[in-house]
Amino acid sequence: MLSDLLFRLRALMRRDSVESELDEELRSHIEQQVEKHIRSGMAREEAIRQTRLQFGGLDQVKEDCRESRGVNFVETSFQDVRYALRQLRRTPGFTFTSVVTLALGIGANAAIFTLVNAMLLKSLPVADPKTLIRIGDAYQCCVNDGAVASGDYALFSTNTYEEFKKNTPEFEDLAAMQAGFAFFDPLSVRRVGGGGNLAHSSVGEFVSGNYFQTFGLKPEAGRLLIDTDDVKGASVVAVMSYEEWRKDYNGDYSVIGSTFSMNTKPVTVVGIAPKGFYGDRLTTAPPDFYLPMKQIATVEDAEYVDNPDSMWLYVMGRVKPGVNRLALQAKLSARLRHILASGKNFSTANDKPLLEKAHVILTDGGGGIQIMQLAYTSKLNLLMWISGLVLLIVCLNIANLLLVRHISRKAEVSIRAALGAGRVRIIRQLLAESIVLAFLGGTAALGVSYLATHMLLTLAFPGENNVPIQATPSITVVAFALAVSLVTGILFGVVPALIAAQFKPVDALRSGTRATVGGASLVQSGLIVLQTSLSLILLVGAGLFAASLDKLQNTDMKLESKNRYILHIDPQAAGYLPSQMEALYRTIEERFHEVSGVLKVGISTVTPMEAHNNDDPIQIEGRPDPHKMAAWNRVNAEYFDAVGTRVTMGRGIEPQDTPSRPMIAAVNQAFVKTFFKPGENPIGAHFGEPGSGPKDATIIGVVEDTVYTGVRMKNHPMFFVPILQRAASDKRPIDKVGALYAGTIVLETARPIRDMESIARKTLAAVNPDLTVVKFQTLDQQIADRFADQRMISRLMTLFGVLALLLATLGLYGVTSYAVARRSSEIGIRMALGSERGQVIAMILRGAIFQVVLGLMIGIPAALFCVRFVRSQLYQITNADANVIINALAALVIAACIAAFVPARRAAAIDPMQALRAE
Amino acid sequence: MSQHIDLPQGTLDLLILRTVALGPQHGWAISERVQQLSSNVLRIQQGSLYPALHRLERRGLIKAHWGVSDNSRRAKYYELSKAGRKQLEVETDTWQKLTAAVAQVLGAA
Repeated sequence: MLSDLLFRLRALMRRDSVESELDEELRSHIEQQVEKHIRSGMAREEAIRQTRLQFGGLDQVKEDCRESRGVNFVETSFQDVRYALRQLRRTPGFTFTSVVTLALGIGANAAIFTLVNAMLLKSLPVADPKTLIRIGDAYQCCVNDGAVASGDYALFSTNTYEEFKKNTPEFEDLAAMQAGFAFFDPLSVRRVGGGGNLAHSSVGEFVSGNYFQTFGLKPEAGRLLIDTDDVKGASVVAVMSYEEWRKDYNGDYSVIGSTFSMNTKPVTVVGIAPKGFYGDRLTTAPPDFYLPMKQIATVEDAEYVDNPDSMWLYVMGRVKPGVNRLALQAKLSARLRHILASGKNFSTANDKPLLEKAHVILTDGGGGIQIMQLAYTSKLNLLMWISGLVLLIVCLNIANLLLVRHISRKAEVSIRAALGAGRVRIIRQLLAESIVLAFLGGTAALGVSYLATHMLLTLAFPGENNVPIQATPSITVVAFALAVSLVTGILFGVVPALIAAQFKPVDALRSGTRATVGGASLVQSGLIVLQTSLSLILLVGAGLFAASLDKLQNTDMKLESKNRYILHIDPQAAGYLPSQMEALYRTIEERFHEVSGVLKVGISTVTPMEAHNNDDPIQIEGRPDPHKMAAWNRVNAEYFDAVGTRVTMGRGIEPQDTPSRPMIAAVNQAFVKTFFKPGENPIGAHFGEPGSGPKDATIIGVVEDTVYTGVRMKNHPMFFVPILQRAASDKRPIDKVGALYAGTIVLETARPIRDMESIARKTLAAVNPDLTVVKFQTLDQQIADRFADQRMISRLMTLFGVLALLLATLGLYGVTSYAVARRSSEIGIRMALGSERGQVIAMILRGAIFQVVLGLMIGIPAALFCVRFVRSQLYQITNADANVIINALAALVIAACIAAFVPARRAAAIDPMQALRAE
Repeated sequence: MSQHIDLPQGTLDLLILRTVALGPQHGWAISERVQQLSSNVLRIQQGSLYPALHRLERRGLIKAHWGVSDNSRRAKYYELSKAGRKQLEVETDTWQKLTAAVAQVLGAA
């Protein structure tokens, strides 16, 4: 065995000497044979001829010898690769086109796969993510007070969490985490001491004391949170994220144990979370600080932490081994109903059916809270399908290119076959070429995928730099890219290779370049037809998404965005108490009116087309509880004018609606439609929270349905109350009413003011240097942000559509050029016999266009059929309209004409004499 | 020329081993020798001789070295290895049993 190996190795390593020895051995044999013949009286020439005849093909014998030396496979593989590289170098145009085609197709797929891997498949960076279970499967946020209509609970109150924790020994640990931290105003954080430290906005998440213990995490430095931190009255501590520590504090260990001011409250940082831990969910802005959930009462003046009816927590735990999940789910659901029954949402007999529906569903928690995943799964799936289609087109194109190439090389192949090269060997060489090509393409694709992932991330999360998703392709992705490219190479190398191997040497040698290869050109035409129809599908898709985006952006949002500026502020973080708001708002109104060009100064909780939405359950006085929600917004007198909301009935909010007057409200038309019967006059009606309590707010007017959260949520019921008015029944001390804090200032100006941002910042700083502009945007920018997702999808669809169009054009061009080259003598004869150039061009065009038309005839119904798969992602578009289809058709036909016309002109330029002489 | 018989499958290796058992030989001489020893009945297809030699060399049944032939030409000489000698005995034995059996069957008919 060992000697055998050594023998093979020698043959491999000393290939040249072994090869020359073989040459010498055979030559010496032939010489001796010739001499023998001469000795027996033959003439020298005759002797040589006889010897050659006896010996057979010299190359064949050598090949057999190499084969029997057993080094052949590795050896010839090297040879094949070298040969393939040489061949590819000889045709740089072909090589470049193929590698670029492959790189784009595979790169796009690898990029999408990188995102899918990072967003949908990856587990949280915690210990043993498989045993983590989340209680709840729905996306509910952020602080809800009402009953859940579907009965499927995913958001829980502090009380419910504690009951769960106490009564389910099936969990090793059960942790709770704030649901809506990403949607609330950030913490205003400043390191105390050292001087000159400015406050800056940081993301904080409030979590239960056993949060880190549940995830099985060890601190990077200092300590993590423990149960005794999460007790009312304990001094407030926080854990800083590793990324925040590195980024803003340079990894300074003195941070640990030092005091920070968070929303003006003193907080001690006790430790640094482990590197790479980005919290319990994938989000564009991961927490910079983790604080004990009970301390939200101190740091954010949030009262819901103590309200058994306020649901604001997600709950996730680690189950003990051997626990039956279904039994646990049933047990938790029963416990939930028991807890809810004592709450105020289920106090009347009417609520019985809702209570009976209440349940929880357990889901895998290892991937974290799946909020981003819910938002992106359908989009990523769509992208995967689309990029898969593009990859298919790429493969078709490569197959066609290889086919054309192999066929045009059939003379060479035939000669080699005639010289004794085995069919298997020829196929292997052609295959090697495909694989080398695929390998080159795959390598280039890695670069493309890195760039494309970057582009995708920027498109998907504009302006976000903290998304915990790496653009670097992982090992899996690298393997994936190489596998796809190799399979492509082998699969589409085989077909052309098989076709090429069918040539009978004699036929090919006899008929020169004129031989027709019917089977091959049929395959080619088939590939073109397929490519055309796939491209049409992608182009129609791109058109649909563009139309959808257009519809979204051109929705009548019932607002005015011209010369409107939005300033987000956080008076609470600046240390204001609710009782100081009245004076602050008056100052803000006065100061901004002093700025030249400012027409209206609106102050409100939220503004139109903002991600925020504050829903409350509503009941009209004297009517049954409809179990329906309406969003509230607190606004000042100039607010409706500032955003361009028109009053359609009664009056809007006016300066006379002072805090001391009874509470009034303006409602929108959707509110009227939801809570009143058609034709009823809502003016004068009273409404409030459901239940037996007083209905404090009196409706004084109806306004248009200005769109708030997003276009898909237009016609959402809303009510607007004067920013400082309080319900008569609300007996809390004023400083406990956090709702009085405004979140935004809206400015309407007479003309565009370029440096409005710095003016606004200066004006606010003059009011109070601690009062910073959290975010400044024009209303138009704010609206554009809400379409970022749609724009990303639409842009990507267009990108893929154009790529497909380009590839199809390239394919058609390649095949038509080849056809022209193949038929050059035929065309020469036609022209010699009197064909006009125009006729020749028409003939070539006819052939090419026929394939395209066939492709379109398949593509149109296919595209119409495929619309159903994306319908849910489109806005108010249910079918491909004529416009979209005509545009896609036009793009394809124009591209096809160009692709066919260039070779057709070349055909018409053939000189008949030369073409005939070449025969 | 007398009539030639093409070699039955598998006998080429045996003939080569037997021929080089007489002493180191180069390729051409081996084919000549077989022809001569079989009184010109057996003729080795020259195209298959060399692949067979290389195969036997790989299997370690024969060893090769370069030497100088009678007419002072450089030539590759093959000789039997220890394993080859054993293999020759085994194959000779098998062959004799086979031919005897075949002859017996033919004789009985």
